[in-house]
Amino acid sequence: MNKFLLVFFSVFVTSLFVGRLLFMPWEMDELDRSILFDVRLPRIVAVSLAGASLALSGVTFQNLFRNYLAGPSILGVTSGSAFGAAFAILSFPYNPYLIQTFAFVFGIIAVSLAYKLSKLVGEGLLSLILAGMVVSAFFSALVGLTKYLADPYNKLPAIVFWLLGSFAGIRWEDLKFALLPMLVGVVGMLSLRWVFNVLSLGDEDAKALGVNVRKFRALAIVLATLATSASTSLSGVVAWVGVVSPHIARLLVGVDNRRLVPTTAIVGASLLLICDDVARSLTSSELPLSVITNFIGAPILFAILVKRRGVYHVAD
Amino acid sequence: MLRIEDLSFSYGNREILSGVSLKLKKGVGCLLGPNGAGKSTLLKIIAGILKPQRGRILLNGEDVTNLELKERAKLISYSPQEFSINFPYTVFEVVLMGRNPHVNFLEGPKREDEKIALKTLKLLGIESLANKPFTSLSGGQKRLVLIARALAQEGVLMVLDEPTAFLDFRNQLVVLSAIERISRRFDKLVLLSLHDPNMAFFFCDEVFLMKDGKIIANGKVEEAITEENLAKLYGIKARLVDVCGKRIALPVEEVML
Repeated sequence: MNKFLLVFFSVFVTSLFVGRLLFMPWEMDELDRSILFDVRLPRIVAVSLAGASLALSGVTFQNLFRNYLAGPSILGVTSGSAFGAAFAILSFPYNPYLIQTFAFVFGIIAVSLAYKLSKLVGEGLLSLILAGMVVSAFFSALVGLTKYLADPYNKLPAIVFWLLGSFAGIRWEDLKFALLPMLVGVVGMLSLRWVFNVLSLGDEDAKALGVNVRKFRALAIVLATLATSASTSLSGVVAWVGVVSPHIARLLVGVDNRRLVPTTAIVGASLLLICDDVARSLTSSELPLSVITNFIGAPILFAILVKRRGVYHVAD
Repeated sequence: MLRIEDLSFSYGNREILSGVSLKLKKGVGCLLGPNGAGKSTLLKIIAGILKPQRGRILLNGEDVTNLELKERAKLISYSPQEFSINFPYTVFEVVLMGRNPHVNFLEGPKREDEKIALKTLKLLGIESLANKPFTSLSGGQKRLVLIARALAQEGVLMVLDEPTAFLDFRNQLVVLSAIERISRRFDKLVLLSLHDPNMAFFFCDEVFLMKDGKIIANGKVEEAITEENLAKLYGIKARLVDVCGKRIALPVEEVML
């Protein structure tokens, strides 16, 4: 664990100094220091927390749904947040706080809706997944509609950029609102790591081993939703980190959640930091973050699947 | 002693169990009956996975029917018919999960729990599998691991749903003799379901014959498994013969479809 933390801290510190302006710690003036502490540091803190949030939500849902392909967005949180943000951009004069609030609230609304709807389909995991799909599709349609209605010179690009994700321009005061739900989610998911082992065995086994499945599943969903919608509200949609980080972590420490969950958080934070570093250093204007996470995440996942061929034995 | 009084369970209008009562004083008890008789449902109710609409379950005199899941899991362990483990947990990790009822969920298992898990693996002679992924094991090995997990739970009663399902002839014997051994050595109550009356003859003390959600006969294995009862249970004609000091049931008539 310690060596992974060390890697994270190295990435964290390096991220402070790389960017379009490359700083050398020993030759910094007042302006450089102001960029470092007021521009880069809040951004890097935000990126780390968001990376950990997404990765932990991913590993939580993979355990809950007993499926390697589950990601943070499986219950519709991302589509909900996307609609909330798009709606706020479309309907009001540009206001980042309003966009953040709408994204956060609609993310939570989407998951609550999926949870309620799943009860109409039946008990159990499959009904939750199906309800999540329905809710995601519904909110994606609404996002499409807001894009169609948006002014193509002004508001449409803002919506499109939000959907591609970026941490550009994040200051300490932007973090105020998202910090608490992300921290609650991250700490909560980290502390449930042993329970995730038992929950990942399926409802019957978990009950027979004394776990109140309904209570703990609901708690895990609440924590993952808080973390994901808060991090999405901060940056827009960030693809892949939530799905791919648990896979990298499994390669490092195996599937026992006592080690897997904390390692996943560290991997998610480091991975998103690296992607964000690339996004802001590669070209003179910033690249959208999801472009990078997709470019990096997809091949990494494929390589892992090939490497662990035969170990990933999925029964159903 | 396990005592079940007047247990009933239905899915909607479909009655699965109607007024089941049974008493298992010690040793290995076996539910025998055709598919759909309600054996798995009964075992799941005892394990607390399903809630009965009526009736009581008493374990050593204590009413456990509405006991909270964690408290119940300290007394009763359960091993399901099908393997539901998707992730390649090691055998040791799987058995360690049997300690869950005794573990604070925020802290996870301690060294003491790890010792118990290891001891259990040794007891079943499968400690060499400890670091192998569960998903890579053969059916017989998987079954032994799940029995180890149930044993690590340290309950009074082990409930095993078809522990011989999908196993070859030898592995059926291996698994059932392990269960019998554990029951004798630790004076543990075991209630399991089987499909082969001969395995019940070989390894069980008491038998409960189930059909259509009811127990139609019960008692010591050799008293309850009679030619007449087998005909009632499965609708087949079988003869009971004694060979090499063991009793076996032999179907003697072609079964009509």
